[in-house]
Amino acid sequence: MFSEKIRKTAAQCRHYAMCKIDYLDTGICSSGKENHFVSHFPQGRMDIYDALAKDLIPITQGLVEIVNSCDLCAVCDTQCHFVTGMRPVQVMKALKEHVQDFISSGKKPVNVESDEILENLRMIVGSRWAENDPAILVAYANDPFPLAELRMPGYVALPGSRDEVSELVRFAGSRKIPYVVRGNGGSVFGFVFSDGLVIDMNRMKKIEIDTENWTALVEPGVTSFELQREAVKYGLRANTAEPAATVCGNIVCTGLFSTWAATYGVNSDSFVDMEFVDHEGEIFRLNEPDAPNSFCYQNRLSTAPGICTLAHVRLHPTTNDEEGLIVPFSGFEEAVDFAAEMNKRRIGLALGILGGHYLSTFMSPSADLADKVRSCLGDTLGIKYALFMIGDRFDREAVSSLREPLIDQELFRMFMLGLPGMADTEWIELISGMDGDNPPFETILRPEMRPLLDAVLNPSPETAARAVDEDLRDFYTELYSRPEMTDMVWLNMFRIISARMSRKKHMFAFLIYVPLNRMDVIKEICAELKRIADAQGIENDFGFLTPIDLGKRAILEYDYYIDHQDPEEKEKIRRALTEFDPYLDKISASTKGVKLLKYIFSQGCARKEAFLYI
Amino acid sequence: MLQNQNRPKTFLVTGATGFLGSHITANLLSAGHRVIVLARSKNGQTAKNRVLQLMNWFGLKKSECTELTVLEGDLVHPGLNLEPGSLQLLAGQVEETVHCASDTSFSARRRKQVEQTNVQGLINLFKILERSSTRKFHLISTAYVAGSNKGLCREDFVHPAGFNNVYEETKLLGEHIAAEKCARSNVVLLIYRPSIVYGDSTTGRTLLFNALYYPIKTLRFFQKLYLKDILENRGNKAEAMGVSLLEDGTLHLPVRINGTGSSWVNLIPVDHFVKAFMAIGEEKKAEGVFHIVNPENTEIHQLLKYITQYFHLSGVRIAGKDTFDKKPKNALELLFENYIRVYSSYMRDTRVFEHAKTSRFLAGKNIRCPDFTYDVFSTCMRYAEEVDWGRR
Ligand SMILES: Cc1cc2nc3c(=O)[nH]c(=O)nc-3n(C[C@H](O)[C@H](O)[C@H](O)COP(=O)(O)OP(=O)(O)OC[C@H]3O[C@@H](n4cnc5c(N)ncnc54)[C@H](O)[C@@H]3O)c2cc1C
Ligand SMILES: NC(=O)c1ccc[n+]([C@@H]2O[C@H](COP(=O)([O-])OP(=O)(O)OC[C@H]3O[C@@H](n4cnc5c(N)ncnc54)[C@H](OP(=O)(O)O)[C@@H]3O)[C@@H](O)[C@H]2O)c1
Ligand code: SF4
Repeated sequence: MFSEKIRKTAAQCRHYAMCKIDYLDTGICSSGKENHFVSHFPQGRMDIYDALAKDLIPITQGLVEIVNSCDLCAVCDTQCHFVTGMRPVQVMKALKEHVQDFISSGKKPVNVESDEILENLRMIVGSRWAENDPAILVAYANDPFPLAELRMPGYVALPGSRDEVSELVRFAGSRKIPYVVRGNGGSVFGFVFSDGLVIDMNRMKKIEIDTENWTALVEPGVTSFELQREAVKYGLRANTAEPAATVCGNIVCTGLFSTWAATYGVNSDSFVDMEFVDHEGEIFRLNEPDAPNSFCYQNRLSTAPGICTLAHVRLHPTTNDEEGLIVPFSGFEEAVDFAAEMNKRRIGLALGILGGHYLSTFMSPSADLADKVRSCLGDTLGIKYALFMIGDRFDREAVSSLREPLIDQELFRMFMLGLPGMADTEWIELISGMDGDNPPFETILRPEMRPLLDAVLNPSPETAARAVDEDLRDFYTELYSRPEMTDMVWLNMFRIISARMSRKKHMFAFLIYVPLNRMDVIKEICAELKRIADAQGIENDFGFLTPIDLGKRAILEYDYYIDHQDPEEKEKIRRALTEFDPYLDKISASTKGVKLLKYIFSQGCARKEAFLYI
Repeated sequence: MLQNQNRPKTFLVTGATGFLGSHITANLLSAGHRVIVLARSKNGQTAKNRVLQLMNWFGLKKSECTELTVLEGDLVHPGLNLEPGSLQLLAGQVEETVHCASDTSFSARRRKQVEQTNVQGLINLFKILERSSTRKFHLISTAYVAGSNKGLCREDFVHPAGFNNVYEETKLLGEHIAAEKCARSNVVLLIYRPSIVYGDSTTGRTLLFNALYYPIKTLRFFQKLYLKDILENRGNKAEAMGVSLLEDGTLHLPVRINGTGSSWVNLIPVDHFVKAFMAIGEEKKAEGVFHIVNPENTEIHQLLKYITQYFHLSGVRIAGKDTFDKKPKNALELLFENYIRVYSSYMRDTRVFEHAKTSRFLAGKNIRCPDFTYDVFSTCMRYAEEVDWGRR
């Protein structure tokens, strides 16, 4: 018997692979850590339960092993809750019970036969690291991308070295087996699926920091989170975006953009060199004179130059006076102009304009509170947009000489730890009643107001923890007692809260490079994407905008939100696609500096100049 | 409730979900009239439910609302977003219109929205009424259309040199538009200009806790906040603001309110407003502008005395500008400054509203504006606390 409620929870897994990194310092699923296959991580187990309930897979020997390797430690419960609000341990329990019932009823799990291809794969990677068991494969069969269906691979292999990767490629080529490489699958764009072989890089996890050069050698299974954690030990910083994304996959796939792009750049700015295994199994480095030219850009859908087996990435110095700062705005244009000016003047290491949804969602430990806070920030306080910045003392002094009021680190911590108080009805009424000519935030955020905010919000880890279910409060209290959990610099370096933006629904993101001096174009793109979504009844919102290259260009994100399990919502996206795709292509073709990430995918090694200025 | 002296008529009331509009609707129904209201749905509640709930607040059961018709519509849309059937109903049956709907925000940030409702909304309404049988138009305006005029404000059409906010400006514009439209289509126009309306002087009941109530509600919020801090949390946060609990239970809340003691507010209770409105409205020959104001202003320091006495507060006082030069404003004072800035023209009034015409008429009907005594104030505050300032 399957519980439909539990199945629905399982099916809501967003596949962002956050359960694969130890981002709360609680440890990660021990079974996943030891076995490396996605199927052994909580994410894979969610897929398995959903697939079992839908009768897509039988109970196999492999599945029994997966289930037995879970000791219901509940680490995944808090980890997953932190970003998605879900409680996966109920799924793990239900999965265990189901399999136990099956066995105790005397039934036998299916023993999946090996075959000649699998034997060959096992010869290459070792017997433990190649599989054809459907319970394992199903964790490699889909993601929340709404425009693709379940696609079961025939095999999955986890190479342990560059040479094994090369051999796998040669073997697949010789047998005409289609293959795809998978980092952590966090692209969620239907990229990492194949009917043939999935090459999962999760076992290749070496990091070597070169403190003299401020660089690092990174293997393809290393995530941004793990690299950052290592870099920090040496007082350095890696340019990272999504924490669970593999560094190699992220560079190759999107060119790795983030708020740090304001200073550290994008695409080829991130690395010194990259090593690849090409489609023939040959190994090359990008910096070799006769290597294929991956620094160029072609404005069409393309494929990666091969499988990246090592990235030699740049690390960046840090200073001990860096802090975060948020500059609130009531209007979009004003915020964009200010961000452009900051970047032009080289003020701020990381820069990004966030909409109300992002800001409130990032800060809130629950979706309900995020909604209330969003309304408080936007409707009540009048903060419709906010420029988020990381800067040193000089950056922050420059900003405060230009604009007031600001949310500095102290106030941000106060907000985060006192967030439930911010959504308090009486407090909201009080601010709403002010009805002045200027947005209320101009008064409320003034430094003189802090003692009052301190009384109203009563910020403390305990207060922040009030936002979550009672049984999680002790955990959250302890978590929020850790200073890094409310430190804007740490949070932006490790980016552990960004996946929260899909807490309610999966996010279908549009990423577009735009000319920052063309406000008309930026506004038109947002308005048109909004119009298309509204017409289909798709929830949508501005995401963020980060200025790059000294304020000449920017990365714009606009988001659609859909329940990826709802066929009607998928249909809405399909219909919207017929409008947004041609629209974006047209505006990109007709406007200098407008480039779609869709075409940059897999050309992440290209020089940014090769696509930003054509 | 008032008894109908005349034959039952069909009224259109806008703003029936608002403070004054709901009072007027309930009174018209109780007086035996038929009322069609234009209302919006909000927060998942249909327009009809919203209005019926309000009528229930007045003690009118559903069965007593058989003469009530709720049309869902919004003034800002041409055609008011009404269905064709509703338009027909308005065209064929409405004899008198009471226009209470208004955006009452003072904020320059909301200028567009305020103009849309108060100006464009009125034009849209007249467009619909042009084709109707309306013969009388009751416009609920405000005494503050006098704008930045000083001294005596005439009970007549005015042309002030300027305005304190977008609300006053659009309300006056509304009066002029209504005058022009009514003159053109031979409709009798009555303009009611109340000053600041508070709850019922005998029961304290009210639906709206803004204007007079807002600063008191704010003080009350801080009183409770710091009391809790002192009684439950060692009082560090209270101490940081110089707040302390005196032996007799009074909370010392040091808040200096920028101003002079010689200014006043003009306050009328809602029961008086309704009586006055009904009496004037029913008068066959009545026409033009009516100031529904209190002949007696309430001095600000008097009001402050009421507040501190009722709520056991000390430290809240009116202070001149020079005290702030010596000691900068603290957080509570900054909040109040914001409020005072917005409402300064109302809270620091030195204007006097002419009211001879209305007072004479009302005196003839034995209607007199109750004084704003401590008793009346207490009744209103008791009610406010009872319903948790409208949250219950
Ligand atoms: C919530 C959320 C927020 C995000 N925000 C950002 C952001 O701000 N900036 C950003 O840049 N991205 C962002 N992304 C996108 C995501 O981080 C990238 O797509 C990243 O590439 C995912 O890394 P991965 O290891 O999971 O890659 P996968 O999803 O496993 O792979 C992505 C693509 O890269 C290929 N690939 C993976 N590894 C290799 C390799 N070693 N060699 C060659 N090709 C490889 C895959 O075949 C696939 O085509 C976000 C994603 C999510 C879910
Ligand atoms: N209260 C006072 O102290 C006072 C003093 C002087 C003058 N006045 C005047 O008296 C009138 C009523 O004021 P009030 O205190 O009763 O205000 P209120 O409680 O804020 O009510 C305003 C009403 O207008 C409606 N409304 C606003 N915009 C609308 C639109 N676009 N379409 C349809 N309806 C709309 C509101 O509907 P929703 O409920 O759907 O928002 C509500 O019913 C106003 O004209 C005001 O200027 C009031
Ligand atoms: S409960 Fe099971 S799936 Fe979750 S972390 Fe622990 S071992 Fe892994």
